[in-house]
Amino acid sequence: MELGVFIAGVLLSGLRSATPLLYVLLGETLTERTGVVNLGVEGQMLLGAFAGFAATVVTGNPWTGLAVGALAGMLLSVVHGALCLGLKANYFASGVAVWMLGGGLSAYFGISMVGQRIDGFAPIPFGALAKIPVIGPAIDQITPTVFLALALCALTGFFLYRTRLGLYWRAVGESAEAASTMGIRPLWIKWQGVLAGGLLSGLGGAALSVDYTRNWIEWMTAGRGLIAVGLVIVARWNPLLALPAALLFGTTEALTLRMQTLGVNVSPYLLGTLPYLVCLAVLIYGYRRARSRGGMPRDLAAVFAKTE
Amino acid sequence: MKPFALNLPFLKTPTATALLPTGASALVFIGVSALFFALLGHEPFGLLWQVVLGAFGDKYSFTETLVKTAPILLCALAAAVPARLGLLTVGASGQFYLGAWLGTGIVLLLAETSGLVLLPLMLLGAALGGAAWSVIPGFLRARWEVNETLSTLLLNYVGALIVEWAVYGPWRDPGALGFPATRVLPDSIKLPTFLESRAHLGLLFGLVLAVGLHLLFTRSRWGLSLRIMKSNRKVAESAGMNYKLNVILIMAIGGAIAGLAGMCEVSAIHGRLQPGIALNFGLTGFLVAWMAGQHLIKIIPLSLIMGAILAASDALQLFYSLPAAIAVVLQALLFLSVLAVGGFLSKRKKA
Amino acid sequence: MHVQMSGITKRFGETLANDSVTLGLGAGEVLALLGENGAGKSTLMKILYGFYAADSGGILIDGKPVVIDSPRAAMAAGIGMVFQHFNVIPALTVRENLLLAHPDAPALLPTRGAGQDDWLGTLKALAPDLDPGARVADISVGQMQLLELAKVLNLDAKVVILDEPTSVLTPLETQALYKLIRKIADEGRAVILITHKFEDVVTCADRVAVLRQGRLVADQSSEGMSADDLAAVMVGGGTIRHADRVAAPASAVARFEVRGVSAGDAFGSISEVSFQVAGGEIFGIAGVSGSGQDILADCLAGVRALSGGEVILDGVAVHRGGDGRPDIDNVGYIPERPLQNATAADLDLRVNLFLKKLSRFPFWLKWGSADAETARLLEDFDVRPRDPRRTAGALSGGNLQKLVSARELTGPRKVVIACYPTMGLDIGATQAIYRRLFAYAEQGAAVVWISEDLDDLMHFAHRIAVIFQGKILGTVTREQADRNTLGRWMMGAAA
Repeated sequence: MELGVFIAGVLLSGLRSATPLLYVLLGETLTERTGVVNLGVEGQMLLGAFAGFAATVVTGNPWTGLAVGALAGMLLSVVHGALCLGLKANYFASGVAVWMLGGGLSAYFGISMVGQRIDGFAPIPFGALAKIPVIGPAIDQITPTVFLALALCALTGFFLYRTRLGLYWRAVGESAEAASTMGIRPLWIKWQGVLAGGLLSGLGGAALSVDYTRNWIEWMTAGRGLIAVGLVIVARWNPLLALPAALLFGTTEALTLRMQTLGVNVSPYLLGTLPYLVCLAVLIYGYRRARSRGGMPRDLAAVFAKTE
Repeated sequence: MKPFALNLPFLKTPTATALLPTGASALVFIGVSALFFALLGHEPFGLLWQVVLGAFGDKYSFTETLVKTAPILLCALAAAVPARLGLLTVGASGQFYLGAWLGTGIVLLLAETSGLVLLPLMLLGAALGGAAWSVIPGFLRARWEVNETLSTLLLNYVGALIVEWAVYGPWRDPGALGFPATRVLPDSIKLPTFLESRAHLGLLFGLVLAVGLHLLFTRSRWGLSLRIMKSNRKVAESAGMNYKLNVILIMAIGGAIAGLAGMCEVSAIHGRLQPGIALNFGLTGFLVAWMAGQHLIKIIPLSLIMGAILAASDALQLFYSLPAAIAVVLQALLFLSVLAVGGFLSKRKKA
Repeated sequence: MHVQMSGITKRFGETLANDSVTLGLGAGEVLALLGENGAGKSTLMKILYGFYAADSGGILIDGKPVVIDSPRAAMAAGIGMVFQHFNVIPALTVRENLLLAHPDAPALLPTRGAGQDDWLGTLKALAPDLDPGARVADISVGQMQLLELAKVLNLDAKVVILDEPTSVLTPLETQALYKLIRKIADEGRAVILITHKFEDVVTCADRVAVLRQGRLVADQSSEGMSADDLAAVMVGGGTIRHADRVAAPASAVARFEVRGVSAGDAFGSISEVSFQVAGGEIFGIAGVSGSGQDILADCLAGVRALSGGEVILDGVAVHRGGDGRPDIDNVGYIPERPLQNATAADLDLRVNLFLKKLSRFPFWLKWGSADAETARLLEDFDVRPRDPRRTAGALSGGNLQKLVSARELTGPRKVVIACYPTMGLDIGATQAIYRRLFAYAEQGAAVVWISEDLDDLMHFAHRIAVIFQGKILGTVTREQADRNTLGRWMMGAAA
């Protein structure tokens, strides 16, 4: 019973920890589906985290914070779109530039936000649910952002596989050339992909600062955006597989945080490497599978394989 | 569609064509930075002038610029060398940390040894540490096509954490009163400096490596084989070239250079291993390499300019109370300007 | 609907692709647009389909001038085109590919059951056995072509342009296509068949228009025309020196042996391929495109790792499992798709010619006599333009093919493996390559020749094997070979 409660606790707090990552993962999945890679999601997430937090401090309303954060992320993604789609710059280089800009701007303006505290979301009144055995004690880990993330997961899946526009997106990611001969405009679709990715990564950043940590520190995303880019490959560009992929990261993090309580006497810094190493390991596995079974959108494969 | 059709004849001369991207990028950068400063309520061009002074105004500023240039130059090389095979790595900061870690480890272990032996050993260890950290993503790329940009980025975070573990844990200096660092390393391993300042030998390493590797890549048979491997892996392998081995080799060289940078910083600047010493050198190096078109000689002046920006940012922090992140913002603006101008010009060429 | 192209001229740099071409056709007609590779047929039709804009001249539909500046405009005007390199998306299903191209596809895609197959009417008529839920990557080339045709017909095209449709089909599939074309024409549409094959003209078309070097040199009914008549018009004056047939080798002792070779992954594979080639023998391999020829060729040349079996040259196993380590000196290899597989596109011609011989140069590179050799090779193999500093990627497809041949078909060789070596070349250049290739057989080398041209194979090769889905289905000698049997094997019928 104790073990059950512990595991449920890890899973649920893992879910909570995975939530900001899940937003970015969904966003980058959408972007890569149209054949564009955006390493700048790390910067978009940072800017969203700062803007969302600042908005919540000012208005006192966490929902406003989420909206502002999403908007900030989307605005920053316009830079990536303009460079890559408008000016034909290299996707990776532009991503790094956007990452730097987002990180720099958020760190620069975020000075005033360091040390501020907010209340975040009002806890969901679970009522009777909180008394369910095993899961009950940890159910307060589920916050509104978690619900929203899960809903978005289903929504993006539906969009990609069940709508005509989603079909166009997938077609453009496979072969922009073939798509254009059928009258689709690839550039316009790619812009949509980039902006959607910007919106979601900004939202993810805001979820991180407004809901998860409820504070602001510069560079607080600690590479989550980059991890998301890696996990997109693991999730095989399928939004529905994004949840387990994000959970992998989240539960690893939740587990390492609990190691101390378990009496494991390993340096927290070494434990801190685990999420990154797990991500790397899964990335390698994902690559090996993609190599032998395919799954990467064709045009995107050209982007990853092309050098410079 | 050519809204900016500049049809000035002198712009078509070879010298002009070569300098146009640089000149245009510089202009765009200055313009955007001025705009940024203005939006913050500062007097834009006055502040820009302070930037110039902060970098080159007096002897102290100039040597501080050199201090910053050394690690940037080395990290830029660390990015440009793998680029010979078309590999896009951003892992210099992780390799920096591993080099610093291994080098420091050697010094702590053999602290009593004479500096004549210990110094080279330390540098060798640093090179090995950085090389090892780079060979891992190299191997992953060679064997399973794992994208090296992603794997090096992830390992950056792991590298930083390894150093943090060491200085908060087994190597912690009890006498440092809560400040996470090793004890001060012996004078015997301190890198020689010049100009009565903090500018150190690391700069010379960078210059020698840049020139030497440039000659190797452009004039040798091996350099040509690298070009072929970069152009078409399949053709190269059908011509008998060993792509996988070369990937690992080139990543090792790049990593070794970044590892060297890490130990130079510890030895010459900080005197001990502590967290956060890589700052953003890894990313900055990547930017410089990119802006130089991965050209090893062009990296030298560009590293100096970046070093100037970083040194000036320190000055701005000190005298104008601007947040430290101004360095990152300025670098980002510079990189964006270069990318924008580059993209614009190549688009016009195709039009 | 009557379509008239009037005075069309198009230049690409220095090349005059179309020179004042005037051509028209009306409903119910099947027009064959005949010409050698490089004669300008594809260009002309791409102008009609809106891919290119003509430098001068215009297009009239039913007497009225129209502007066709994009494929969308062409489709709106009722013109549809099925390309030689299909515009399908392999990772998506047949149904999804059709929906992509259909103007009326709904915003929310239909799910299983009702309504899902409403858009498949045309496809079902053309290919009743095709499963709409199958991924395009998994269907055959012939089925892909029918899919493309269904896309065009779904748009209610009045003019259907087919670009080299029979080049990827087996003889049986070709006959089925001819019937289909006839049916489409009888429905009142006009069909233009771009081709370089006489059979297409003679069997299927009502009229033939011949392009030679960009100019229209004939436009007449195809009735009663023989292959020789057509050849004469297509090639014009001057005789083409055809390559001579090489006598079969006296000894049947195997020089080059392939034993149980298997290789590949989820994207394509070959399994248990075995055959032997004697010294001086030309061993031809026929097959529908995508049957594993490229994988087989890579394995034979030692460029690709085997998962089983071995390759033996002169009694010594040269290739067996593990990573490919090619025997550069003894094996000449012309892979398919030279741009992707045989050249370093951003490096110059000189480097490309010597990239397999780098070890003969000093460490601190000096080119020395290589410059003279480069000039000679470019001259001998007629690579244009002759500039050794030009990047390989700037060459046209045909010249790239010649460049690769220049590298691989010089010097002593024990084995030559040629995979579609004359792709994109006109008759003169094709025969020139044949001469060099077969010369190696005369000198005693084993020649493995993979080709899409069944007629050439049957004329020149000593023995012909057919590959289908990665397996060799059968082998016959030149004397025994007959088109029907080979055609059936190409489609997978048992030997």
